[in-house]
Amino acid sequence: MASRDVVSYDTPLSRALKVLAGLFLALYLVWTLLPFFVMFVSSFKDLLEAFKLPAVGDWAGITVFFEFTPTFKHYTSLFTENSFGTYILNSLIAAGGSAVISVIFGSLAAYSLSRVDFRGKQDLFFWIISTRMAPVVAVMVPLYAIFRSLDLVGTLPGLILAYTTFNLPFAIWILKGFFDNVPFAIEEAQMVDGSTRFQAFRSILPLVAPGIGAFVVLCILFAWNDFLFAAIIGSGGAKTLPVATRELVQPQNIQWGSIMAAGVVTTAPMMLLGLVIRKYLVTGLTMGAVKE
Amino acid sequence: MTDVSPISANPRAVAAQIFRARAHSAEVEARPQSEITNRPRSFNPPMPKRYYYYLMAPAIAILAFISLYPFFWLIVMSLQDVDIGGGEWVGFKNYVKLFSDGRFLDGWWLLAQYSVMCLGLQVGLGVLLAVVVNSSKYEKYLVTALLMPMMMAPAVAGLLWLFLYNGTFGWYHWILQSVGILDNASILASANTAMYAIVLVDVWQWTPLITIIALAGLKRVPRDQLEANMVDGASPLRNFFAITMPNLYPVLLIAVLLRFMDNFRFIDSVLVLTGGGPGSATKILPVYLFEVAFKFFKLGRGAAIALTLLIVTIILGKLLVRVFEKPQNEKG
Repeated sequence: MASRDVVSYDTPLSRALKVLAGLFLALYLVWTLLPFFVMFVSSFKDLLEAFKLPAVGDWAGITVFFEFTPTFKHYTSLFTENSFGTYILNSLIAAGGSAVISVIFGSLAAYSLSRVDFRGKQDLFFWIISTRMAPVVAVMVPLYAIFRSLDLVGTLPGLILAYTTFNLPFAIWILKGFFDNVPFAIEEAQMVDGSTRFQAFRSILPLVAPGIGAFVVLCILFAWNDFLFAAIIGSGGAKTLPVATRELVQPQNIQWGSIMAAGVVTTAPMMLLGLVIRKYLVTGLTMGAVKE
Repeated sequence: MTDVSPISANPRAVAAQIFRARAHSAEVEARPQSEITNRPRSFNPPMPKRYYYYLMAPAIAILAFISLYPFFWLIVMSLQDVDIGGGEWVGFKNYVKLFSDGRFLDGWWLLAQYSVMCLGLQVGLGVLLAVVVNSSKYEKYLVTALLMPMMMAPAVAGLLWLFLYNGTFGWYHWILQSVGILDNASILASANTAMYAIVLVDVWQWTPLITIIALAGLKRVPRDQLEANMVDGASPLRNFFAITMPNLYPVLLIAVLLRFMDNFRFIDSVLVLTGGGPGSATKILPVYLFEVAFKFFKLGRGAAIALTLLIVTIILGKLLVRVFEKPQNEKG
């Protein structure tokens, strides 16, 4: 823990600043967390109760928000009237499949990229990373045409492959950083002792295993949260949660209760996973620019 | 020098060996002096590279299939008139048309507006938040709370905000009306406010990313400089601009570029919230591209638009990678 401000005078100004800072922080937290709260609470409300609002300007009327009798019917209807069970499974298979493929091949590639130098390596690297950063819609135009000719549109393998377009480069880019931090001397010592190259590679895997595990989770998160690929490439046969949730919005009849419940079902697992890999989350979200 | 044994039965093998050895020494000599002395290679066994290439091959092959091949396909498609049935060559017609396509140019202009508004708000709020969080006792918990919006699928976030913005039962609509900012008009249905509405959702979801990046930058600010400056009588505000900010710039640049590219990348929440409307008030370029390619299935025209979008992204990416690599060079 770094030391706090060594010099801190308690002047009126600094005290005022502190109060302001606290106020700002509190307001920001409310702004960040309120939507979650509304979503969570609304998913237990009956339709009419969810639509209750106080009169404009009637701040005391906010209590209306809490006047309801909790109901689970939106959650049950997700699984009875809609087949959210299937969609959850689709999401799991598509996200998990692409994550596993990406991390297995990604770690092999990241390891070798970290260990070998050759002409054009920077260019290769740039190509890999630009694949990850390309706008999804732009990538999807040719991918859709190709997948259609291969009959991959609307299938889970197609969706897995589509997710791999952003997960594999991501895995290579991040995992290379991990392997860079493992000294080559370890493998060297192993090889001097008579290991083969592959055994030497396996011997350093435990050192990066936690990171690799975390990035399987992170790849799952990115794929799970995707909407565009799922809406176009997965349309029909491979409907995932975000797309299914979106489809609850019908022009004449928007089922808000079900949408909020579906939102909770889609968001909650990812939030839990995020907490589990909290340590690597920041690294992953910032593409390795920040390491905690 | 390599020792060539005269007993060797295969002169070809001997020649190959000599050739390899020469090529290798030439390679070593060709390296700049600094590289040889500064980065000694601990290890140089015969033919080490081939092994690594084998390990790389599957990933490169997959990437080639899902990124390089589609890229060439994209170029081909952009020169064709493709719809559901198939394509015929039309040369550069798709591109020529773009210049007279008002919505294409508007799309770029709206994308620029959208990005600048998002980034301005996110950087401002994000840095302020980072400074406040950095001096808080509960930093760890605060960061965890701030990470939460980023875990949510952007499409779901869009739906959630659609609910909050709703003109008849949306709580945010009610709050804005109660404060007096808004009259009865629906937020998403009027062209004046729709753009701000989608910006706000992006700000809600992604400001914390700037915050965590800035937070990492703040940790790197040298304390001794801050203290020395303080002793010399500088106010905290002056301290912030004279010492903290210059130290923040490099990481902030990364943050801004990352977010900038993400604004091009993700349009999930915009599609869900407005779908580009009302009219085409929020039809930023990727949304327009989505409409052309996947609503009207004009894939050829879509490909031409996609290519322009890709080129801009690649330029931005080149910038980003350069910024990324800088600290590493300084370290070594």
